[in-house]
Amino acid sequence: MFTTLRHILLGGTAIALSAGIAQAQTQPPAGTTAGTPIVNKAKATYSVNGAPGEVNSNETTFLVDRKVDFTVVAQSAATQVNLGQREAVLTFTVTNHTNARQDFLLDPDQQNLPVGILLGIPGSDDFNVTNMRAFVDDGNGQYDAADTRTWLDEMEPDETRTVFIVADIPATGTPTLAHISLHVIAAEGDAAGTQGIALIETSLGAANRDDRIDIVFADNDSDGPAVLGDTARNGQARVYAAYQLGTRAVDLSVVKSSRVISDGVDTLVMRALPGAVVEYCLLVSNANLVTPATNVVLTDKLPAHTTYVAGSIKVGGTCLLGGEAQDDDANDANDGRVFSGSYDGATRTVTATLPSVIGPVAVAAVFQVTID
Amino acid sequence: MRPLAFLVAAMPIATAAAPPPTGPLDLSTRVLAEVRERNPDGTTRIALAAPGRVVPGDRVTVLLDYRNTGRAPIADLVLANPLPAGMAYRGPAANSPMPEVSVDGRRYAPLAALTLAMPGGGARAANAGDITHVRWRLARPLAPGAGGTLAFVATVR
Repeated sequence: MFTTLRHILLGGTAIALSAGIAQAQTQPPAGTTAGTPIVNKAKATYSVNGAPGEVNSNETTFLVDRKVDFTVVAQSAATQVNLGQREAVLTFTVTNHTNARQDFLLDPDQQNLPVGILLGIPGSDDFNVTNMRAFVDDGNGQYDAADTRTWLDEMEPDETRTVFIVADIPATGTPTLAHISLHVIAAEGDAAGTQGIALIETSLGAANRDDRIDIVFADNDSDGPAVLGDTARNGQARVYAAYQLGTRAVDLSVVKSSRVISDGVDTLVMRALPGAVVEYCLLVSNANLVTPATNVVLTDKLPAHTTYVAGSIKVGGTCLLGGEAQDDDANDANDGRVFSGSYDGATRTVTATLPSVIGPVAVAAVFQVTID
Repeated sequence: MRPLAFLVAAMPIATAAAPPPTGPLDLSTRVLAEVRERNPDGTTRIALAAPGRVVPGDRVTVLLDYRNTGRAPIADLVLANPLPAGMAYRGPAANSPMPEVSVDGRRYAPLAALTLAMPGGGARAANAGDITHVRWRLARPLAPGAGGTLAFVATVR
């Protein structure tokens, strides 16, 4: 495992970088296998003084060289984990676009990126994981005990395999984000079960002979020009992902209001007289605009000296419009399609159930009582 | 047809054991790869070099050098080059006349006039990748001592 790399952002802080993960490209097929001889031979037919003749040329031959190219893609930019989680998994795929069978070495690194713009997620790296390792999937797409190989062995041209980074998350503290990168290095193949050595490009200065397979790096700059984790044509790729500990707490608040909707005396200025009907409204809102609160249950005990108006529960709209009408029994199956409500006469309690509340829309539950 | 003053005549030639000429016509073939060379002013230009480093997608130029080494003119000269496996025809090289092409080695025509039978019946227009043979027919007899070079560009599949 290599040492932790610190990357420098060249272009300031507030630019929208197109660098980073998931640069999925449509690649042409890997092409003619490296080492294939390409033999050319021409033929001529002619006539001399009416007599036909023909002649074949020499054969000229060269070998197709090895064009090393591959892509690495992170399955998701940020993976949600919990404090103290062991063997938290990040998933990547590696595709071999080389016109030859070869190995790939896997080197997971912890990053210390100053900002999270690389990943498209806000936040800076503020913790390190422990016991970080990389494993190759055995073919089922899930990290499990069978995934023990630590390098990609004998990948055929155009083959794609899944790779996992597995690490433990610290159990204490208030960490939020750990940037991780998977550094992939093209290596010699053709020895099954043996980890090949990293490929070295045949230098341009060397005599590139027609009868020898040169190694030509054709891989792209996998993390873009603004980040120094990878450069084009180096036989390597680096792709970023993150472990994220979410502050995902929902922020619910309930506002209760009441209004007199009839007092039996006046239709313009209605007062809370005995016999008047009062409508209560419980307005629920969630200040977290991203994470919904699910299965929110509101209960409200009727005040003394009031009587519940049967069948008056309405849930899911606004205080004025009410929403779905609910019946009073405890069976939710025959309630509204989304929400449900009930009234328990023994405890004088109104209950409303809301399957999901997410900001910025507030959801109301209303019911009516008469003043004794 | 006039002999071609070909641009790459001075390039190193892979003189890979050319067989002795068996008749009055001396025919040899070379394959050169396109490489990018830097000019003194910082620009780059495409030059041709021995195919030491060729990977899929690279452009190569296939050259046919012919010369009449006999004492009589050579008439009805047809120079044909089946495309090697792993090579896809792209077009004539600079300064070389357009060859006739074929997708089956029998019928030669301009590419636009060629069709290819589809599996299961029907036919479609041929494209450059379907070409299997190229040939040039010299309209006029080749005088003794005369010769030239014909060339086409291909990519490595």
